[in-house]
Amino acid sequence: MKERILSGYDNFVLPFMIGMVFLCIYLLIGLIRILKHIPGPDRKKLALSFINPRIIYKDCRDILCDCLLHVKIFKRKALLGYMHASIAFGWFMIIVIGHIEVALYTPQRNGLIYYPVFFRYFTMENNHTLRGAFFFFLMDFFLLVILSGIALAMYKRVRSIALGMRRTTKPSLADRIGLYCLWAIFPLRLLAESFTAGISGGSFLTKPMNFLFANFLSNDYHILPTWWAYSTVLGTFLLVMPFTRYMHIPTEAFLILLRNAGLKVTRPRKGFAEAEIYACSSCGICLDACPMNMQKKNLKYSSVYFIRFLRRHNTRKINEIADKCLMCGKCVALCPVGVESCAIKRAQRSTVTDGLYYDYSYLKTLSPVPANPADVSETMTDKPVLYYAGCMTHLTPGISKAMKEIFRAAEIPYRFLDENGGICCGRPLMLAGKEKAARELVRKNTELIRAAGCDTLVLSCPICFKVFREEYDLQGITILHHTQYIENLIRKGKLKLNATSRSYVYHDPCELGRGAKVYEEPRRILERMGRLVKAEKEKEESICCGGSLGSLTLNYEDRIKITRGSLKALTYNHPDNIITACPLCLKTFAAQSPVKVMDIAQAVTENLEAIREPAASGTEKTQFGN
Amino acid sequence: MNKNVIVIGGGPAGLEASAQLQNMGYNVILVERTHELGGHLAKWDRLFPDGVPAKSVLDSLLANIGGVKYFLGTEVQSVNLLEKSYNVILSNGITILANAVLIASGFDLFPAEKKEEYGYGIYDHVITNADLESFFASRKDKQAVPDPRIPLQPQKIGFVHCVGSRDEKIGNRHCSKVCCATAVKQACEIKEEFPQADVYCFYMDLRMFGRNYEDLYLKAQKDYGIRFIRGRVSEVAEDIDKKLVVKAEDTLSGKPVKVTLDLLVLMAGMKNSGAGQQVGSMISLETAEDGFFSCRDSVYSLQKSNKNGIFFAGACTGPKTLPDTLHEARAAALTVHNYMKNFE
Repeated sequence: MKERILSGYDNFVLPFMIGMVFLCIYLLIGLIRILKHIPGPDRKKLALSFINPRIIYKDCRDILCDCLLHVKIFKRKALLGYMHASIAFGWFMIIVIGHIEVALYTPQRNGLIYYPVFFRYFTMENNHTLRGAFFFFLMDFFLLVILSGIALAMYKRVRSIALGMRRTTKPSLADRIGLYCLWAIFPLRLLAESFTAGISGGSFLTKPMNFLFANFLSNDYHILPTWWAYSTVLGTFLLVMPFTRYMHIPTEAFLILLRNAGLKVTRPRKGFAEAEIYACSSCGICLDACPMNMQKKNLKYSSVYFIRFLRRHNTRKINEIADKCLMCGKCVALCPVGVESCAIKRAQRSTVTDGLYYDYSYLKTLSPVPANPADVSETMTDKPVLYYAGCMTHLTPGISKAMKEIFRAAEIPYRFLDENGGICCGRPLMLAGKEKAARELVRKNTELIRAAGCDTLVLSCPICFKVFREEYDLQGITILHHTQYIENLIRKGKLKLNATSRSYVYHDPCELGRGAKVYEEPRRILERMGRLVKAEKEKEESICCGGSLGSLTLNYEDRIKITRGSLKALTYNHPDNIITACPLCLKTFAAQSPVKVMDIAQAVTENLEAIREPAASGTEKTQFGN
Repeated sequence: MNKNVIVIGGGPAGLEASAQLQNMGYNVILVERTHELGGHLAKWDRLFPDGVPAKSVLDSLLANIGGVKYFLGTEVQSVNLLEKSYNVILSNGITILANAVLIASGFDLFPAEKKEEYGYGIYDHVITNADLESFFASRKDKQAVPDPRIPLQPQKIGFVHCVGSRDEKIGNRHCSKVCCATAVKQACEIKEEFPQADVYCFYMDLRMFGRNYEDLYLKAQKDYGIRFIRGRVSEVAEDIDKKLVVKAEDTLSGKPVKVTLDLLVLMAGMKNSGAGQQVGSMISLETAEDGFFSCRDSVYSLQKSNKNGIFFAGACTGPKTLPDTLHEARAAALTVHNYMKNFE
């Protein structure tokens, strides 16, 4: 290959250069802004992450898998994954190969930004071209990959369900301009390279097109206009990029660096959150994920629109959506970019000052739990465990009763921390953005737990469980949800269960599943007792029961619709029982379910193999059957 | 001319409507799902506001249904609209062609175990209003096994109003209309039964709308010393002696209250009968948001459904007191009569 244009410049590169320079300046300013708003210790963390080989490796892997290959989308919806990956990875490869070509054949042009982009225009074949054939092939191949992705993207606009998306985002005006530019870039590049292929050479795609055009078009006359068009469209795309969803292309990689460095959302609009906001690709996967969207009227509350309003600083809408969200976390779990919209919503809620008066005087009246003499006997060799039912479990006394029976059956001495009334774990306040108010409760609870002197804390409510694990300083105390604890007891042989022919479906509570990643323990317990059938959506994709404490404004009519939708997904395989592990889910489902709903602890007590006092446990059983 | 009328449901509404229609000269076929006539009334002991024995009302109703063909233990299997009449197939294999179908399927008691925080079915001494009536009704019967949930000498007894009524969380926003008066009546009766006991009523507000109901309320306070606490019960726990610890808020004093009781009675509300809804779904009758059947309008045509030839009487179109139900039954009979004139 050798240079065809000796100056190495043509006016048509100007639109591209204008766009590129503008974008670079914009990104630089944005970068400085974000770094400025990140708190000092976090900035230090970020700096340190660049010298930590483990984090560097993770950064590289995440950027490759998430930004370029979109592995996360691939796993759920292969065709949708291909669409995203083909454009992202294909484009990336074309840029990389473009630079390699420049470095190999025209090293004197290294460093010229536009040169690799318009390489074919500036070079011509010579007798050494055979060495370049390999790159010609790669360039054409990746161009074809991108074009196939663009074709899918166009088809998705018409019929999104074909790619596995029931609903897709409504693009804003700027997004539309960006979208059409993006669609036009690569077909124009193909045209430009095809017209030029007679001079610069080409491969399986551009060469035949060049021959084809030669039959009825004068290729030479079309070379320059198509390169102009290509450059103009590319330049426009770069120029509008800061105002469109395509900001996610540069931001996503940056977000990965920040996240891997261990940064967290502290403010709803600035610093880390800003990186998250701009990293949202507006792909719309959260639209199908959101349980509120069982009704079309609620589409406007989806995370994608929340982020859009954050970008536009529309405070009224931001607050409305932040308060409406159930905080079930499904959109976060499924988000291909990993935008923690729930954390941003929480941060947003905390910005709203309500002037509420908090009365903590009752905290002083609570005294540490006495040892439970009735349930400690000589034969018990285990250390006592501490059981904390939580407010929600007090509203579903069937669960705490079942837990007591399980402790008895396994001969485990226990202390019931809040048997005669306790205080809230603090999570509802935190979800409402009242972090400071919650701290008082956290402090008092910590004191009570420490005073009980047990080294295992068993909880029945996933809401408490999550907050105890994440926000409490309880070092030295093992914190277990009762699903984990019961599974432990079964594994150690302390509990024996009868195998029945009943079929169970398990509902993953948001806070236990997506919130604390406990998916397998309850399923292992159920497999011991009967046949575990699958729900239509489960684990990460489990649908909120509708009763979530997370939402501050969602009304009961809408909640009931969510509950029914969730129940429909659960009863997909016609189970005999729906089993859950959260008192709130239990209560919410029980009001609507056609099938009997039980907590896993209740199901376990129903199937306990009588170890001692068969008569006593027999009467208990009939009571539960009522 | 086909003079057949099918009445679905053998409770007070069905019995009274059947008797009236029979009087007017129609062939009435009454279908009852259970093995006895009388519906909820047959299980009740006394009726508010004056404590009339339920049995005497039921006897009056039954005395008038001579000539009515009725099938007990029989369910409706299918209902098909032929040209203008309905072809109804019953579970006993009988097929009836009728020009009019009167739905008098009544209500189901709200399943109190759904309000789990009150502990019905979990704690030993929690019962419902219906359980208490059965207890009262069984006292005269020496053979009857006493309800083990009711202590022999309860010292403190509580009534919780609005269980499954006016409660959006449980999905029922409607008022069940009869529970306030029933609770006050039962509170007085239980005080008569156990004069030494303290009786508490936890209510949101008292809807004593009928004639003499207010007097009943005043009498309950003055003569029986029933203590009314305005505020919903939030949760109930059971202590080691199987006593019930009730937590509520006294919204008049604005303070939380905690009472330990020996017996708790839940005033379970009404919801549309499940069996009735099944029949309704066979002819795709509309139900409103509260789950009860929708009438043709809300004032003038309460006995008519949106389908010609299908009529309603009683609590299948919303909670009703017994007198209201009987009025409706008579009104329904007349409405059916006017409709049947079309066929002459």
